[in-house]
Amino acid sequence: MNQQQLIEQYVAGTLAEAEAEAFEVSCLEDVELARQVEFEQRLKAGFEQVARGSTAEFVRSESTLSWRLAAAASVVLFLCAAVYLWQRLPGAHPQVLAALTSTMEQDGPSLRLALVRGAESAPRLPAGEVRVEIVGLFDPGSDYSVMLDRLRQQRETANIATLHGQHPTSPVTLEIMVDSDQLAPGTYSLRVIKQASDEEALDFIFEK
Amino acid sequence: MDFIPGGELSRRIREGDVSAESELIRQFEPGLRVLLRRRTGGDHGLLQDLVQETLLVVIQRLRGVGIDDPQKLAAFAAQTARNLAIASLRKAERQKTDVDSEATERKPDSSRGVESQVGDHEAALAVRALLRELPQARDRLMLKRFYLEDHDKEQICQEMQLTEAAFNQALSRARRRFRQILEERGFAKRDLLNLGL
Repeated sequence: MNQQQLIEQYVAGTLAEAEAEAFEVSCLEDVELARQVEFEQRLKAGFEQVARGSTAEFVRSESTLSWRLAAAASVVLFLCAAVYLWQRLPGAHPQVLAALTSTMEQDGPSLRLALVRGAESAPRLPAGEVRVEIVGLFDPGSDYSVMLDRLRQQRETANIATLHGQHPTSPVTLEIMVDSDQLAPGTYSLRVIKQASDEEALDFIFEK
Repeated sequence: MDFIPGGELSRRIREGDVSAESELIRQFEPGLRVLLRRRTGGDHGLLQDLVQETLLVVIQRLRGVGIDDPQKLAAFAAQTARNLAIASLRKAERQKTDVDSEATERKPDSSRGVESQVGDHEAALAVRALLRELPQARDRLMLKRFYLEDHDKEQICQEMQLTEAAFNQALSRARRRFRQILEERGFAKRDLLNLGL
C-alpha cells in the first residue's frame, strides 16, 4: 500500500485500529505527511458539510449560460429592489414575518430554504403559520435582517415586510415565522442580510 | 526544517532548552491535529483545546520525570492525545442529564450533530469554490461518490467507465486545488496561529 492509499484509508476510517495508531505516530514524526492527511480530512469534512445543505451542488448543469443569465437577472432584480426600497419605508405588513419564539412552533408546517444550484422550481410555502428554516453560514454573534418581497411582472418587487435583529438558531440555520395566510398567491423573495456588514446577502425564492 | 529525534528533544527539554520545546510543538502539532480531528467529530474548538492540552502535558512530563523510552516520544504524545480525547468524551457524557453507562465505552462518534461540525466553515467554503470551478459534472459526481458515499475507487471507476489513472489524476487535481484555495485565503495558516501556547 502506498502512502496516498494509507492516507485515504485512514481518513475513510477503514484502517485497522493498530494500523491507524501506527499511522498516527508516523504523522507525529513527519510534518508534511500530517499536513497532507489534514487536508484530506478537511476536504472530506468540507464535502460532508456542503452536502448537508443540498447535494444539488454536485449535480448542477454543465451549462454556464443559464448561470450567467441568472446572475444578470439577480443583479437587475437587486437594483430594482434597492431603488424601490430606497423610496419607501419597509415594514408595511410587519405581522407577516415574526421571530421564532417558542419550541411549540417546531411542530407546525415548515419550509426549508437552501441555496440549491440549478433547481428547476421554487419551493412552495404551505398554508398557516409556517416556520421557515433558512440554511446558510451564519455568524451566531451577529444580527440579521430578513426582507420579504413579492416579485411581480416586469421586474418589479414590492416589499411586504422586514424583520431586523434576528439571531441564527445555529451557525448554519436561521429560523423565522411567516404567516402564509396573509400572502396572496405569487412568487416571493426572502433576502437575509447580515447587519452592519458588507457581506453578500442570501436570496431565496419561493411560491405561494 | 529537519526532524529532531525524540531522544534528543527529550534530553534538551529536560535540560531546560526552551527552543527544544518550540521545536517539539512545531514537529508534533500537525500530527496531533490529524489524530484528534478523527476523535473530535469536527468540533473545531475541542480539537484546538485538546491539541494544546496534549502539548502541555508532554512538555511538562519531559521537564519533570521524563518518559520511559525517549526514543518513542511521538508514540507517547500520540497516546497522551488519545487518552485526553477519551477523557473529554467521558466528561461530555457525564454532563448529559440521562445517564448512559455504556457511553464511556464507546468510541467518539465522527458523525456528531451539525452544531459540532460547523467549526470548519472554511473547508466547506473551499469545497464550494472547488465545485464551482470544476467544469465537468463527471468530476463533481466522482468526488461526491468518493468523499460522501465512501465508494472505493474500483467501484467508481467501473461505474463511471474511468481508468484508474484518470480517476487519480482528477482526484489529485481536486486535492491540489482545495489546498491552494485554503492557503490562498489564509485558513491553513490561521489554524497554526490559533495554537498560542
